[in-house]
Amino acid sequence: MIKGATAFIVLAGAAFFMGDYHNDVYRKLLLWITLALGYNFLFGICGQVAFSHFAFYGIGAYSIVIFLFQFHLPFPVAVLCGIALCVFFALAVAIPSTRLEGFYLALATLALGQLFIVVLNEGGAVTGGTGGIANYRLPEIFGFQLRGPWYTAVIALLVVATYLVLVRLDRSWFGRACRAVRDNPEAAAAMGVNVARTKVIAFTLTSALAGVAGMVYAFVDNTVNPPIFGIDNAFLLLFMVIVGGAGRHAGAVIGATLLFLLPFWLSPLVGHHQALVFGVLVVLAILLQPAGLVGIYDRVVRR
Amino acid sequence: MNVILEVRGLSKRFGGLTAVHNLDFDVREGEILGMIGPNGAGKSTTFNLIAGTYPATAGDVRYAGERLLGLPPHRIAARGVMRTFQHNRPFAGMRVVDNVLVGAHTRFRRRLWSIVLGGAREEEMRQRERALELVRFVGLGEQANADVGTLSFGQGRLLEIARALAGEPRLILLDEPAAGLTPAECARLADIIRGIAARGIAVLLIEHDMHFLLPLAHRVVALNFGAKIADGPPAAVRAHRAVMDAYLGSHAPAQ
Repeated sequence: MIKGATAFIVLAGAAFFMGDYHNDVYRKLLLWITLALGYNFLFGICGQVAFSHFAFYGIGAYSIVIFLFQFHLPFPVAVLCGIALCVFFALAVAIPSTRLEGFYLALATLALGQLFIVVLNEGGAVTGGTGGIANYRLPEIFGFQLRGPWYTAVIALLVVATYLVLVRLDRSWFGRACRAVRDNPEAAAAMGVNVARTKVIAFTLTSALAGVAGMVYAFVDNTVNPPIFGIDNAFLLLFMVIVGGAGRHAGAVIGATLLFLLPFWLSPLVGHHQALVFGVLVVLAILLQPAGLVGIYDRVVRR
Repeated sequence: MNVILEVRGLSKRFGGLTAVHNLDFDVREGEILGMIGPNGAGKSTTFNLIAGTYPATAGDVRYAGERLLGLPPHRIAARGVMRTFQHNRPFAGMRVVDNVLVGAHTRFRRRLWSIVLGGAREEEMRQRERALELVRFVGLGEQANADVGTLSFGQGRLLEIARALAGEPRLILLDEPAAGLTPAECARLADIIRGIAARGIAVLLIEHDMHFLLPLAHRVVALNFGAKIADGPPAAVRAHRAVMDAYLGSHAPAQ
């Protein structure tokens, strides 16, 4: 708890020493780290290959905006409704697909991701269609308008809270059950682990966390539009976790940080070819360091 | 002593093959019941039926008076029937003690919200202490915090037992625990199994190796082609004509 508070103060404090541009980059970095931490729990720790993480991020973002500004719900009610919506969709996807074997979850979540974009694009006045929704502002909380670095502090709180929740779960019977289910479902069941239930809970929980991150994201640019929540970003998230080191919280942080910042470093160097160079670097990282970049750190420490 | 497990008329057919045929036996508290038979006799299938891994074709299995057949494996484990596997199945990338803690899964009472709020520390520490005791009980104390991948094959066999004990079983199913062990390791294993029975836990032990089993088991059930061919004290079963035939590979009917 003290460590968490320290991390929050450092992460939030940093924002007050940055200009507008760097603050914007920094906020998005923190959001990517939040998403990677959640996805790492689902994919790296529980072994479920899902591509719906960005869809849930989007469900969170769109739902808070729609509930607040079209349905005019009070702020806490809108947040709870948004979470409930994520939980509902997560259960609707997870319960049927985890009863089937392995890659059906990947297919079902891929379908959900695509369907979500279609719904956003065709949603008319409710979702704003391809242009999305813009021109709204975060309601005042206790008469205080959170903006600039103060809103970055909210995102820092989100990262730290997500990290604490996931680490605590990981170090409990639940985290061990998730790893056991990933490694050997039959042996896990023989130890008393309800395999299907463990998978559904892990999926629903991480999806809801992505939804909460989406709600925070909705007020970063004060606009939400479909491309952000597409399948491209879902794959990038998968690469972040694998490159960093699947199954390790530090790996998710390293992977998200590197792959998010890489294009910023690459584009001045190689211009239009940056996507190609990015791809090659990712492939090299996976080939040379299959356990993830966090494995390099391990080797240095153990020496 | 009280009967903890009653098996009646248990049968399993895989298509046209009858793997287990009309099997009857009991296991009592604190008893070591050996199950012998040549390869393919149906010993592991019997385990998988009791543990709920396969559905039975016919029969009844009662544990502490309650029907087990039809329950999923995790429910059976939660009731106190824990098992080991014929081939080591450690949870990779975890420490030895954490593997044992997975075995204690059904002993945790704290809910997820309590974990998230940081209220499960005391329970976690208590269970970890218990798991460490079990790790020491099977003689892996020095490896408790090592990655499970660093264990030798024989140590992996012992970890399987510690993991099963962590579920606080009243009945433990050991599937060829001595397979592949050195004579010294076998001797230690026999002591551990006696120690388990001395705690009042019923032990159902599949074993290929008569030399290991006979001095250890209180009673022995012999299977061949899925059916029981003998049942009784180890010496009597060993001397039984049908058992000798089964082990010598002769299928001639006893005369």
